[in-house]
Amino acid sequence: MKKINVKKLFDNGITYLVLLTVSFAFCFPVLWLLLASFSKTGSIYSFDGFFPAEYSLDSFRRLFNDTVMYNYPKWFSNTLLIAVFSCLFGTILVIMTAYTMSRFNFRGRKMLMKITLILGMFPSFMAMTAVYILMTHFNLINQHWGLVLIYSAGAPLGYLVQKGFFDTIPGSIDEAARIDGASGFMIFWKIILPLSAPIIVYTSLTLFAWPWSDFILPRLLLKDRDLYTVAVGLMSLGDDEFSRFSAGAMFIAVPIIILYFGLSKFLISGLASGAVKE
Amino acid sequence: MVLLLKNCNAKTIASMLVMGAGQLLYRQWIKGIIYLGVQAAAIIFFISQGALMIRDFITLGTVEGNAWHGTPGDNSVTMLITGLFAIIVLIIYFSLYITNIKDVYETQRLAESGKKIPGFFEELKELSDKKFYKTVLFIPILGVLIFSVLPIVFMILVAFTNFGGETVPPALVDWTGFESFRRVFSLGSFAATFLKILGWNILWAILATAFGYFGGLGLALLFNKKCVKGKAFWRAFPILAFAVPGFISLIGFRFMFAAGGPINQMIVNGGGDVVLFLGLNSTWLSRGIGLLVNTWLTLPTSMLLATGILANMNKDVFEAAGIDGAGPAKQFVSLTLPFVLFATTPVLITNFMLNFNNFGIFFFLRGGFISEGYFLASDTDLLINWLYRLSIDNNYYSLGAVISLVIFLITSIISLDVYLRSDAYKKEDIYR
Repeated sequence: MKKINVKKLFDNGITYLVLLTVSFAFCFPVLWLLLASFSKTGSIYSFDGFFPAEYSLDSFRRLFNDTVMYNYPKWFSNTLLIAVFSCLFGTILVIMTAYTMSRFNFRGRKMLMKITLILGMFPSFMAMTAVYILMTHFNLINQHWGLVLIYSAGAPLGYLVQKGFFDTIPGSIDEAARIDGASGFMIFWKIILPLSAPIIVYTSLTLFAWPWSDFILPRLLLKDRDLYTVAVGLMSLGDDEFSRFSAGAMFIAVPIIILYFGLSKFLISGLASGAVKE
Repeated sequence: MVLLLKNCNAKTIASMLVMGAGQLLYRQWIKGIIYLGVQAAAIIFFISQGALMIRDFITLGTVEGNAWHGTPGDNSVTMLITGLFAIIVLIIYFSLYITNIKDVYETQRLAESGKKIPGFFEELKELSDKKFYKTVLFIPILGVLIFSVLPIVFMILVAFTNFGGETVPPALVDWTGFESFRRVFSLGSFAATFLKILGWNILWAILATAFGYFGGLGLALLFNKKCVKGKAFWRAFPILAFAVPGFISLIGFRFMFAAGGPINQMIVNGGGDVVLFLGLNSTWLSRGIGLLVNTWLTLPTSMLLATGILANMNKDVFEAAGIDGAGPAKQFVSLTLPFVLFATTPVLITNFMLNFNNFGIFFFLRGGFISEGYFLASDTDLLINWLYRLSIDNNYYSLGAVISLVIFLITSIISLDVYLRSDAYKKEDIYR
């Protein structure tokens, strides 16, 4: 009896040791960035090992007041606008597409699924030059709406996870509603939507995070410094602006972190129920 | 279709000649006028512009612009893309034409069997009910067609031209067949670079996927252990890392491993020499760091996924196995692993593709070196990075397009093969 206890104790010890190591490994870089943003001098070379020698709120003050070269507040509102609208339109399109592909059995459905699978395999840069030329034609270079358009239009291609979710809602619910005289649209609106909160949260979160931290497309399409998104703007910071970078990084990471933690329950169940089936 | 041709009456034939004519003859006024309008619009479009667009698409322009004389000339690239646009319009027109014939034939059969012909608003109502999918899918398909299909087709076509390098508008671009392919695969510096990058890219994708996947599974199992108290607390740390946007973490890590960064400061303070972790000559060191950082970035997602899937697993099986004397290792290999693998094969494929085309990792981590023995690439670059440098930074569009096609072929063949062999495809219902 005692032998088992020792073994169990040992096992517990190892487990907690691993847990601590893992947590440290994930926590440390984030903590490091956080503390660096409070550095007084701003350059990484003045640090004492990992952490700043002196602390102050200077970099935050400069981030919001010194906007001649780097207009952070403007970048922030640009990014917010793009991300919110792309997320809104994209979510609507993805949910509708996934629902239709899951529930309606029409001719060409399998074909459509195979085509989307293949389309997803093209490297996205391959299309960049063409997108650029197209956007020049539509007069959408240097326009935030151009980005919103591309993000929302590209979103429905990633409908598979959501379709997997709708596949898990039993079809008998639909049939019952149909017998009661509900139309296709009514079934979707009144019955399916309320059931699909987890997947809607999951979708909107991923579709928000994508434009929020995308770098390549905005850099390609936005030319004026004041139109930049945060990602492009932060990349354009000079090497000696490390603490300004980390201060800026904190502000774009914090909303996402709050969202993820607040919604992590939905996130996990959405991800899992969507993935189990094909 | 054959049946349609054999049985059609005069009104259906009228619709074959002029769209909407048959519908009008059956007194379906609104629908008939809409079809007629489509026909008129298509004719006007093709007479005024469309035909020219398609002609230019074939020739890619004949008049070269001359800045000296101020003559504008033809822009081959614009012609390529507007030509494609005209072809898409043509395809849409033809499919509408077919639906027009099918529609009128449907009406003809209803009329012949003495049933009532539905009015416009009744048909409109159908669109929100049984044919709801048509209404819903219209906008997504249009969007995907314009912003995904059109650009992809454009780039496939570019692979068969000499667009790029010196040959960019106002110079005229020409169709050159397989010339660009020949250059990538046989021209000394291209071919050597290509093979080196391809080898590293495949190795990278396999390693990165395996590390992320099994690491995530391991973490999920760790957090699921009975003796772990406060699971939500421990799980919060990886989620924290997950929530920080990727490019921020990457730039952060770049600063951390920089020559003057904190790690090197500690090495110097300890009496060592500065280590150029991500320097020009540290090929395998940078590759290893890239792998480590990538694992840091991908672990949380795969952990969340594995957690969700483990929660769906039937616990009774384990108890039964425990009673039968199977140890934890045995249980993992013969119960947990098959279940998780089954459930996540599609995710595994997606991850493999994401890693194969992981643009960000070395772009942010290591910046723009050009290594010795490589053509416009560094020794950590993946094909996607090389593609970016060739086409966006250096205008080698047609060569870039060839490389995209190669990437596409590799990823699609591998993932299709894995998917078709997997249990997830073969035995769809096993766990249902």
